[in-house]
Amino acid sequence: MAVLTVKDLYKTFGAGTPRANRVLDNISFDVRGQTFVSIVGPSGCGKSTLLNIISGVETHTSGQISVTSDDGKPARMGYVFQDPRLLPWRSVRKNMLYVQDQADDETNRRVDKYLDMVGLGKHGDFWPGQLSGGMQQRVGIARAFAVEPDLLIMDEPFSHLDAITARALREQLQDIWSQSKKTVVFVTHDVVEAVELSDRIIVLQPGGKIFEDITIDLPRPRRQTDPAVATLQAEVLARLERMKGMAPQVSAAP
Amino acid sequence: MTATATQRRSSEEQASGTSAWRRRVTSEPAARVTFYITAFLIWVGLAAMFVRVPGPAAVTASLVKEFSRGEVFSNFADTFYRFAVGVFLSVVVGLAIGVIMGMSGLARAFFESPVLVGLSIPAIIWAFLTVMWFGFGDTSPIVTTFLTAVPFVIINVAQGVQGVSRDLRDMSSSYGVPLGRRVKDLILPAVAGYVLAGVRFAVIIGWNGVLLAEWFGGSGGAGFRARYWYDANQFAGFAAWVILFVIVIVVLDQLLFERAARRAFRWRDAGH
Ligand SMILES: Nc1ncnc2c1ncn2[C@@H]1O[C@H](COP(=O)(O)OP(=O)(O)O)[C@@H](O)[C@H]1O
Ligand SMILES: [Mg+2]
Repeated sequence: MAVLTVKDLYKTFGAGTPRANRVLDNISFDVRGQTFVSIVGPSGCGKSTLLNIISGVETHTSGQISVTSDDGKPARMGYVFQDPRLLPWRSVRKNMLYVQDQADDETNRRVDKYLDMVGLGKHGDFWPGQLSGGMQQRVGIARAFAVEPDLLIMDEPFSHLDAITARALREQLQDIWSQSKKTVVFVTHDVVEAVELSDRIIVLQPGGKIFEDITIDLPRPRRQTDPAVATLQAEVLARLERMKGMAPQVSAAP
Repeated sequence: MTATATQRRSSEEQASGTSAWRRRVTSEPAARVTFYITAFLIWVGLAAMFVRVPGPAAVTASLVKEFSRGEVFSNFADTFYRFAVGVFLSVVVGLAIGVIMGMSGLARAFFESPVLVGLSIPAIIWAFLTVMWFGFGDTSPIVTTFLTAVPFVIINVAQGVQGVSRDLRDMSSSYGVPLGRRVKDLILPAVAGYVLAGVRFAVIIGWNGVLLAEWFGGSGGAGFRARYWYDANQFAGFAAWVILFVIVIVVLDQLLFERAARRAFRWRDAGH
């Protein structure tokens, strides 16, 4: 598990140019322990940018951001992207090993364990192109879990999938997550999905400010069909109604 | 109006519907063979019209004589050795510089001009220069082959590397995949097609280099032998060597590259 601290975070693309585009505006939050946090907001509000800053692919303009492991070691992170992002010329198993520190026996066993967990134990030697989109996304999820990350980061991992596959994967994700102690930051534009999965929902508004920080206190395991889940989903949706009509503002940097 | 239904034919029907010989005649190998036959007939025609164009019979006779003199294998072995070393060096150096150029804008800015200059210098210039610099021996043809081929490999590989999926590069850097593994598992397979194209260029351009250097270098080899007959005004002997070069290139291309390409792209052709 990990401690993620984000403090006074700003991100402006093209800062100092006439095209300056502020995407994240004074973001602060902490996540620690076995928590499942969702970041929700309309498309273009800066969710992916925030994740890219956490993962180090993108630099922030100002503010602090730190990820530490509970045990004081450098935090390991796992990522699941919107699309599977597999190397098409490597087998499923080699794709899993590609992001591992080592390729020893123990790592191989771990890779097999997580492939089994997502139901692809027999597909290790397949090429990604031989799997369906949903199966490829499961490989992406297994790959992230197999690095045994302290912090797991997921960017709309189910948004490209059909509803039936997405539902099955959401349930699978909850099961794997509750067995393994991990801090999760999960991005989605789907409030319904966020309520089903999360302990806490951070809502971003257009322009990249935090709009609301909602705690979801429901027993697990949750299923999409639970009435309690459905009730809370409706309630959260109603609270977010107020955000409707907010124009995505393109504000220049100060 | 008559009702029409579109009937799709199954692969089994298609297979049984066309006779075997007809499928063979309209196949791609058949098209290739047709070209060779046409080219041969044109050659025979030209030889019949012009005295200075040796016909197939004369050329074959010279070739047989050249074989019986024992000139073919030793000269070809020399040429092949120089050619192989030159191409190998150009592929190794070209891959390294190409990958670096593709990955770093700084390296691109540095290498862009020399590579362009290299591309524009024809093999014959290198042949002259290397014979001047290194004299007669193996060095001139090797260096000529290398200098002629390496810019083509570099430019192809660099272009391929720049085209490597941004998503996969981001994935690799977010997982902190070490550079060596990134080159081996992401960059190189992604540019395999470009590398093959680059090596193919290197082979074909490299032949130019090695033959020209031998032509001027006078140190044995296929190019040297071709010049020997040219200087002796024996066009059939000269043509015999030209035909040999052509055959070698075609065979190399078919044997090596077709196979290498099929192997490199197994993942793409795998059935579902
Ligand atoms: N590399 C970039 N350069 C410039 N602008 C960018 C870049 N990446 C994202 N943006 C802009 O940042 C905003 C937020 O994008 P993103 O974080 O992808 O939103 P979300 O994931 O919430 O849909 C968009 O307006 C987008 O145009
Ligand atoms: Mg996004």
